[in-house]
Amino acid sequence: MILAMNGEQALVAASPKPTDVRKLTQEVWGTFLGEHGPLEVGTDLGFAPDWSASVSVKGEWNGVVALEMTTSGAQRLTRSMLGLETSEELVDGDLVDAIGEMVNMIGGNVKGLVRGPCRLSLPLVAAGRFAHGSGQREVVRLGCTWAAEPLAITVHAGRPAKSLTTRPLEAR
Amino acid sequence: MKILVADDSRVMRQIVIRTLRQAGFAGHDVVEAENGRQAVELVRSEGPDLVLSDWNMPEMSGLDALSVIRASGSRVPFGFVTSEGTEDMRARAAAAGAQFLIAKPFTPEVFAAQLSTVLPPAP
Repeated sequence: MILAMNGEQALVAASPKPTDVRKLTQEVWGTFLGEHGPLEVGTDLGFAPDWSASVSVKGEWNGVVALEMTTSGAQRLTRSMLGLETSEELVDGDLVDAIGEMVNMIGGNVKGLVRGPCRLSLPLVAAGRFAHGSGQREVVRLGCTWAAEPLAITVHAGRPAKSLTTRPLEAR
Repeated sequence: MKILVADDSRVMRQIVIRTLRQAGFAGHDVVEAENGRQAVELVRSEGPDLVLSDWNMPEMSGLDALSVIRASGSRVPFGFVTSEGTEDMRARAAAAGAQFLIAKPFTPEVFAAQLSTVLPPAP
């Protein structure tokens, strides 16, 4: 017997699976930040993020990949990626660059998990939590801890409502 | 020898330069571009021996930059360092005249294997 899927089931079926997103995220994180400890997944602390970075995938599959972090976590990530000592000053532009590049790498690999031709946007970085469009549904949420700081990686599927897209603090 | 590193992210340019050192290419000069348009200009003015470029950049993408560079007659070895490593992207890169595509995240071992085909190790 063949059962037809409704729209929401089809959206989930066509979207990246949490286990795959978890695997690629840990690979990205471990390659560039592994010396500061592993990314522990499954530790959703329900924190209030200070920064969010996102990239959109548009085409055969539409969605948004987002990374949410605390300021302290983003500073640690930025120093690690730039190879800086803790005493060296950081400006917001450094954090925007680093967390934008991190979500760009995760998003680029997520794009490789979906079928059909798609385009990856440049990253958008904003102060505060990530706000998705009303037409989008969360299909993956990885609550994580790295270097004793909480962070979250999410994938939302579906087209965003134009009036509800996030306003970027700065676009790279 | 001279290597041009093009990426709109300063953080990623630093990681690429650090990985070059770790892969055994420490002694080469490095010039940096923030987008494809700057990369085209620096290929013309600096005459690098190798270009390592991101794909997705503002102003001009790495793919468009490669097309302009090849249209100008330059045969400089060109490799992409990008977050997207699908077969489709690799085919498009090769068709445009790129020698290789390194997907992010990458390791010094991957850099060494790919770059050794186009660049001698530093003395």
